[in-house]
Amino acid sequence: MRSTTIEILFPRNLSEALSIFSDAKENLKIIAGGTDVVTGIQQESKRFIDTEVLVDINRIPEIKGIEVRKKKISVGAAETFSDILRNNLIQNELPLLWKACSSIGSVQIRNRATIAGNFVNNAPCADTVPVLLVYNATVEIESLSSKREISLQEFLQGPYKTQLNVNEIVTRINIPIPSKTFVGDFYKLGRRRAVSISRITLAVLMDMRGGIIDEIRIASGAVTPIGARLTGLEKFAEGKEVNDRFFKTLASKMGEEIIKITGLRWSSEYKLPVVQQMFYQLLKSIEQRSL
Amino acid sequence: MNKEFSVVGKRVIREDGFDKITGRAKFADDYKFDGMLYAVMLRIPSAHAKINSIDFSEIENNEAISAIITSADVPGIKKTGLIKNDQPIFCDEKVVTPGDVLAMLVGNSENELRNLVKKAKVDYTELPLITDPAKALDQEAILIHPDNGSNLIVNHHVKKGDVEKGFEKSDHILEQTYTTPLIEHAYIEPEAVTAIPLGFNGVKIIGSIQNPFTARRIVAAVINLPLDKVQIIQAHLGGSFGGKDDTMCILSARAAVAALKANCPVKIRYTREESILESYKRHPYIMNYKVGFSNSGKIIAMKINIIADGGAYASMSPFVTWRSVVQATGPYEIENVHTEVRAVYTNNPYTGAMRGFGSPQPIFANESLMDEIAIHLGISPVEIRKVNALKNGSITATGQKLENHDVNLIQVLDKAIYAADFQNKWRANKKEKPLTKEFDFNNPVLQDYQYVEPDKLIQKGIGLAVSYRGCSLGAEGIDTASAYLSIQNDGTVYLLSGLAENGQGMRTTFAIIAAEALGILPEQIFYLETDTSRIPDSGPTVASRSTLMGGGAVRNAAEILSGRLKKIVKEEFKLSEEDVVSFRENLVFSRKKGLTAKFSEVCKLAYSLGINLATIGYYKSPSVHWDEKSGHGDAYFTYVYGCQVAEVSVNIGTGEVYVNKITAVHDPGTVINKLGAEGQVYGGVTQGAGYALFEGITTEKGLIRELNFDQYLIPTSKDIDVIKPVFVEGKDSYGAWGAKSLGEPTLELTAAAISNAVRNAVGKRFFNLPLNLEEIVLGKKLCPQEVKRGSLQ
Amino acid sequence: MITLKFILNGKEVSITTEPHIRLLDLLRDKFDLTGTKEGCGVGECGACTVLMNGRAVNSCLALAAQVEGYEIVTIEGISNGDVLSPLQKNFLLHGAVQCGFCTPGMVLSAAALLDQTPNPTEEEIKDAIAGNLCRCTGYKQIVDAIKETAKELQVK
Repeated sequence: MRSTTIEILFPRNLSEALSIFSDAKENLKIIAGGTDVVTGIQQESKRFIDTEVLVDINRIPEIKGIEVRKKKISVGAAETFSDILRNNLIQNELPLLWKACSSIGSVQIRNRATIAGNFVNNAPCADTVPVLLVYNATVEIESLSSKREISLQEFLQGPYKTQLNVNEIVTRINIPIPSKTFVGDFYKLGRRRAVSISRITLAVLMDMRGGIIDEIRIASGAVTPIGARLTGLEKFAEGKEVNDRFFKTLASKMGEEIIKITGLRWSSEYKLPVVQQMFYQLLKSIEQRSL
Repeated sequence: MNKEFSVVGKRVIREDGFDKITGRAKFADDYKFDGMLYAVMLRIPSAHAKINSIDFSEIENNEAISAIITSADVPGIKKTGLIKNDQPIFCDEKVVTPGDVLAMLVGNSENELRNLVKKAKVDYTELPLITDPAKALDQEAILIHPDNGSNLIVNHHVKKGDVEKGFEKSDHILEQTYTTPLIEHAYIEPEAVTAIPLGFNGVKIIGSIQNPFTARRIVAAVINLPLDKVQIIQAHLGGSFGGKDDTMCILSARAAVAALKANCPVKIRYTREESILESYKRHPYIMNYKVGFSNSGKIIAMKINIIADGGAYASMSPFVTWRSVVQATGPYEIENVHTEVRAVYTNNPYTGAMRGFGSPQPIFANESLMDEIAIHLGISPVEIRKVNALKNGSITATGQKLENHDVNLIQVLDKAIYAADFQNKWRANKKEKPLTKEFDFNNPVLQDYQYVEPDKLIQKGIGLAVSYRGCSLGAEGIDTASAYLSIQNDGTVYLLSGLAENGQGMRTTFAIIAAEALGILPEQIFYLETDTSRIPDSGPTVASRSTLMGGGAVRNAAEILSGRLKKIVKEEFKLSEEDVVSFRENLVFSRKKGLTAKFSEVCKLAYSLGINLATIGYYKSPSVHWDEKSGHGDAYFTYVYGCQVAEVSVNIGTGEVYVNKITAVHDPGTVINKLGAEGQVYGGVTQGAGYALFEGITTEKGLIRELNFDQYLIPTSKDIDVIKPVFVEGKDSYGAWGAKSLGEPTLELTAAAISNAVRNAVGKRFFNLPLNLEEIVLGKKLCPQEVKRGSLQ
Repeated sequence: MITLKFILNGKEVSITTEPHIRLLDLLRDKFDLTGTKEGCGVGECGACTVLMNGRAVNSCLALAAQVEGYEIVTIEGISNGDVLSPLQKNFLLHGAVQCGFCTPGMVLSAAALLDQTPNPTEEEIKDAIAGNLCRCTGYKQIVDAIKETAKELQVK
């Protein structure tokens, strides 16, 4: 643990925070739940070696809370997973997000870790990413001088890289409420039943009409360099008739797609067959539930 | 079972429970002393390197550093070890494993020291690595300890009959190789110790020390003081499982060297990363088993060849592998046996004692093999075991005749298969051919036939394993224990033994034994602080020996004192010579006259008469013997028996194995504390399940990948469903009313039972622990090529 | 250095400290509340669990400065002097304590659960303590102790 001191600021509202960020340099970092930052500082991770100022964003009302805004559910960036899990709106309207949040860490972690904290680093194993991607979530980003809203997909640029500038902050995540005709599921595989880093995550939302796939959204995590929508797969599936044979074809197609994106790695020998297998299982269970 | 007991066998609350549940119990790092300094270790990221020089010039004048400690500061022996002195306190010539410590900085700010230690410049030359134990004895292998002459730590063998002739007579022969991984104890409390200099009186040490007397021996030798000048006090110990022995002896010695040099109390406390990096672990084994058997399943010959990875230092390897060589054939009577076990040096983390101590590995191999024989012959796992099981009067592989105790192997087996409805479930789940799919890495896109129908995804299985286990140290060495008991004149009692409380509940067990013998309540007994200056050395708290050996000593002490009290009662109340005095519920009874007095009144009376009501009880094990040359002998003076049945669900798509239920039937002899005994079963089974399913330390270029609990996974509350403990209390003449061993038997069987259950579920045998996701799906382990840590990016 | 004010085990406290030390170190070093333990320092073992505004959190993952104005409860604040809480009493009665190092964190996780979910299912209990590693007990007797406490609190 370092012996030089770190200053910690507690802005009480968004404009206070934004003016702190307006002339921010690399020596300034945001802290919310602390699950990443505190261990990073303690263990002297390279990412925090130059950090001199931490900005605690837990007490900014504008980036907290869950509410409906223009047919979208708007989740404050500093909302903890526990807060999300307690919210009926999320449980009823965004069940995949609820499930993904419930699979993260332990109660202690979920009580502190925030939804934006899960993806602002763009780690490949961020569990909420595949789910937010299939929900077509957008991210609201503000700086003192600008405000923009972009899709999460755009926001996530590459492994550990995002569109966020140093003078900006993610304020809210906005998720369109999907029509009731969508059925879907979230799948996570870990080495243990609890408190486990994901080996594979999958999120699927499917709108089936008369046995035909009208729309399908598929995203994976931990098997691709960053969580990503598999759009090639989605296009291939749309308009196709739902049956066991097709699900197998689609699952194998996912295998091909992932090889294209990721190439072969040390873990592929296991992850590739398993992701196809479990995607097939996921499709079968979604089909079952939508009958 | 003796129905006369008043407290033995009941559910008794721990005597240290109140302090622990309120957070008041002081663990090693909770102690603080005036002027206390900290010591921080200097290491290099190499598993094998020659040290050319260490340059402290950049930091040696830094105000934050009170002292720099190197090997030159060690006044006594510079290398130590529990059996062989091959482990340097500070490595000044070379490092042989990444946990090795070169030097230590001492000062009052641990944080600053951790920064400064990075500025020490170590010039070193990398040496070739040996990380594969199978190659350690190759001609061209570099010698890790050249003065040892080879990389062989020890070689044990057992021979009975003639295996080659036995194979000739056999109808069938099977041969298999099994492996087990490197396992971290994963006590939740990392190591911590403080040494306090006492001037002419030497040094006092308080720490998370499993074996205070071993620590005293090593510290005294390292600081070159007589034993009486080294006082070791055991803080409340946050788990050990065999793991806070060597490491804590060495940390205590380092702290003592620093405390004497700096003339201040010095504390060493490890982070989890340092703990996993430096502490010793459970031996990985490579085990080749060849077995010949008849058409009826009778085993005629068994040939076993085991290589144990001892890592960089000998530690307890000679004893760990000795238990293996004695027990490797399992609890079966076999006419022709040849077992050879070799422990070798490598540059891997060193290995030593861990709960089970050389038994979980061969049990995994041997009990897997027993199931294979049964499947080969088309009989049930129960039948194959009954045909070969040890019984009263059986002769073991080492030529020992089992007598003087109930050889309850078949009893525990019967009880377990009945409790779990084993036979029906095993037949129902049995698979004729493997259900897991073969994958071709060159064609990674799945074919239609490789997809699993959803209702076939989860497969159920049941499996069992049995074991026998020699109690206590056996022929490893001197086996005695002592207990101090002092009755106060109001009927309360002080108790202390030379064995140590490691969390297992030993102090409560001893209080129950004393209470039973004195006819009082365990709550009236105050257990004193474990301190090497207050009680005779009772050997280490290992080998599931404390209840047996220490319990024997406590009972002996209590009976000495109750004898003195009975004599006074007879005199004072004018009872006849042949009358019998007994103590029950704090009352004193005469067989002829009934209730005679209160216990406290008799104690007061004894005090007024000047009777000595304090004593040291003693228990010495019956003699055992071992001939290392022939590999024969009465290895242990008594044995315990166990059977565990595992029920699992296997996801054949992902390789996840979930443990639905473990039925654990054990004969530990007489159960002293039911609550504590059940706790041993739950805890041991859970550790065993971790061993079976996901635990394992792996290395890359000798460097450990799993340095914290984000990567080294131990079971959580959600990983095992039901554990059902069942006790069969066999009779034995030894210890306190025949109370023997339980801690280790509970762990040693679980992985074997789970592996057999997985075989039953998926129709495929797995030979290499852990049965993790990749093992089940691919039949092999996968590891990243680089060491990259989540928590240490 | 900053001066913090917060409520610790029911009492308002004020302390001057470096802002970036961990809550865990603040409790152990500045308040001498050594019942809170450090097992891993990375939020995996739960030995350092305390209650922050009634919720279980890992005190190794919070910075001291972050507790300003909050309410913190440690194991030392769970019993009423020498009178054990029903949860603590049941931990002892059910043999849920062995080495005791995970115990303080375990008790606090259980206390937070029972506060929010007075009548938990077995699955909810296991979930609530999944972030508290224990190497001794196999969790079974801990789950039993929590279950029994919930039952007792229901009757009252």
